[in-house]
Amino acid sequence: MSRLVSSFRLHNRFMLTLLLAAIFIWSLFSIKWNADLFHAGGIPTMLQIFEGLFHPDFSPDILMKGLEAAWITLAYAVAGMSLAILYAFVVGILASGTLTSSRVARLSSKIFFRGVLGFTRSIHELIWAWIFVAAVGLSPYAAIFALAIPYGGILGRIFADMLNDVPIEPIKALKSTGASKLQTLIYGYLPLVWADLISYTMYRFECSIRSSAIMSFVGLGGLGYQIQLSLADLKYDQVWTYVFFLIVLVLLVDVWSNSVRKVLTERKRRRGLSPGWGSSLFAILLIIGSWVFITSGDKANLLELLSDKNLEYAKKFFGGLVGVNEKHPAFLVTSEWSSALKLTLETLEMSIMAIGFATIAAFITVIPAARNMANGSLTSVKKWYNWPLFGIVRIIYIFSRAVPELVWAMMIIFIFKPGLLPGAIALALHNFGILGKLWAEVIEDMDPRPIRNLASAGASKIQILFYGILPTVLPRFLTYILYRWEVIMRTTIVVGFVGAGGLGIEFKLAMSYFQYTEITLLLLCYMILVIIADFASESTRKAVK
Amino acid sequence: MSSNKMIEAKSISKHYERKIALSSLSFSINRGETVALIGPSGAGKTTLLNSIAGLLTLEHGDLLIDNMSITSYRKGTVFAKKVGVIRQQFDLIGPLAVIHNVLAGKLADWGFMKSLFSLLIPQEKAAAIQALERVGLPDKAYEITSTLSGGEQQRVAMARLMVQNPEIILADEPVASLDPARADDILAMLTNIVLERKQTMIASLHSVEYARKYFSRIIALKNGELFFDLPTENVTDELLADLYQLKERG
Repeated sequence: MSRLVSSFRLHNRFMLTLLLAAIFIWSLFSIKWNADLFHAGGIPTMLQIFEGLFHPDFSPDILMKGLEAAWITLAYAVAGMSLAILYAFVVGILASGTLTSSRVARLSSKIFFRGVLGFTRSIHELIWAWIFVAAVGLSPYAAIFALAIPYGGILGRIFADMLNDVPIEPIKALKSTGASKLQTLIYGYLPLVWADLISYTMYRFECSIRSSAIMSFVGLGGLGYQIQLSLADLKYDQVWTYVFFLIVLVLLVDVWSNSVRKVLTERKRRRGLSPGWGSSLFAILLIIGSWVFITSGDKANLLELLSDKNLEYAKKFFGGLVGVNEKHPAFLVTSEWSSALKLTLETLEMSIMAIGFATIAAFITVIPAARNMANGSLTSVKKWYNWPLFGIVRIIYIFSRAVPELVWAMMIIFIFKPGLLPGAIALALHNFGILGKLWAEVIEDMDPRPIRNLASAGASKIQILFYGILPTVLPRFLTYILYRWEVIMRTTIVVGFVGAGGLGIEFKLAMSYFQYTEITLLLLCYMILVIIADFASESTRKAVK
Repeated sequence: MSSNKMIEAKSISKHYERKIALSSLSFSINRGETVALIGPSGAGKTTLLNSIAGLLTLEHGDLLIDNMSITSYRKGTVFAKKVGVIRQQFDLIGPLAVIHNVLAGKLADWGFMKSLFSLLIPQEKAAAIQALERVGLPDKAYEITSTLSGGEQQRVAMARLMVQNPEIILADEPVASLDPARADDILAMLTNIVLERKQTMIASLHSVEYARKYFSRIIALKNGELFFDLPTENVTDELLADLYQLKERG
């Protein structure tokens, strides 16, 4: 018996890998693999799109348009994030329970506010955008609130986790000096989490740029809007111009956030204007600039948002969602549920396929993408092609992650017929770059000594991979796979919007035909999926530990 | 004189699950005494200090701090004027500048707005600088605390304690993670400050040598019970050997 247990222990990671692979293969059976998957003109279109990549339209006219659209995308992202930070700060502190004194108060405050954060982040920003547009019309505020709510939920949850994880000794010491709860917060908790909080917020800011770009899909301006228009006109050369703008924007934010992180980790106090102050000043200017731009726009009157007409719309919309004046709300009809649940299963399959594709693509490319592999420091083997290969893979990663899933989906839908496969491919295209980058960083952070030891013992490259690298990095690889799968689950509904299968298409149809109670039903199914994803990935993570 | 008694324990007891941590302990400590608390690991030293610090509730017995039962101190700010705690070097907030960590000793006296404002422009700076001078770190006031060495951080903790200025100082293994030279340095400084200010101190130590060198009285605990309680000059090597013996032979 004990032998059985220990052999299970020995192989449990292997078994888990087999299990996950089996689930992925099962998901592939949801598709009928034949030529019918492609549009009649799919392959030629793909070639045209590909050609546009190498001949983007750089005429001054388009460049100006791109610049303007990039600024709108940035401004919405900055304004949305500034609200998200406020929301996350207040609710995050409440959800951490650090301000409460009794155990009962702490527990109830934690459960309630964590619930609020969970709800707001489980719904994708594009759905929030759609809901806000339906409720208040095409206003920049719809985009800003739609960004602020889910991003605030994500930031707030991480913030609360950080506050709960601070070392207890300094806090106890502060309390013994007679400090009050609020004083303990500003002298203890906040300084302890500050650096991590800022780096995480910067990382999320990069994501919010992409989210802001796809806000255009519901009719709000920005880079995504231009991409969509050019796609509709079949001007693929212009599409890539705007995509390049988006990539540059994401890269600039990436560079900025890396420099901020570097300053935070170095923590050397310098006299005069340190780079930390420079960044703060820049952030403040950016926030002010964005808000001035948005509030001075013609469509952006905050008071008009609360006009009688809009209030009437909003009332009708939210009343419709809960089924006011509806004899048979969809969420109370069994047949509606069964068809919705079928779509839910399809969406689940799509997400599993997507993470499976992304994992395979990242697995093939990750080894040359690690810096310590490229310069040969990990294995003490240097080849002339290491650096060029590193560069190529990293550029592909940047491309992959800078372009939002929705934009990938909009292009892919020209090639494939609507269904689960194009959705899964679009999700995979975006996520494989992220996964590859995260994995490469794991390899770069590895302790090189055991690997060199293996190399000096005469192990070949493949042997080093299986005996040295994989056992060390696999648990963290798996953590990232699961984490990205959770994110993919939240995004499935969005790629569905453009006809890429699953719950998304139904959601779009229900929105278009004003079938409010069906929207509620679909949102419920979607939330079930998100909860399943959270639960499954949490328990798998525990199993690997 | 009863007015001289700073701490009085009347048969105090504390259990963890089934394990006895403190078993019916009684003693009293007068103002101005420096007491070393020694004994093998698990003897109840930390439990006793935490009880006096008000971090644990006792099951039996009563604990008087300055002739008032510890349970009658309702406000943390009042209690902070009576009892201050110093531990190993984990007491400080690493990312804050040294001066803010020292000024944290004033938080009991400050309102929320003043403490918030002080993070921008340090308030009552003079007191903090004076304390830092006393512990030999006058030029480190604006350094980030986590960049200081272990010994320096422990001195910052002492400076905070000086600013807080409680009547009783509880030191829980204050030099546990320091090398012997630094440990000597810190203990000499700590006992000097306590004598200057006529404070009362109890320090738990794992080193008998330090206990004999710096403290006027030694209380030894074993299995949660009082093993001996003597002026330092009356503590013999035989008693100490008994205290640290692993098992009674017999």
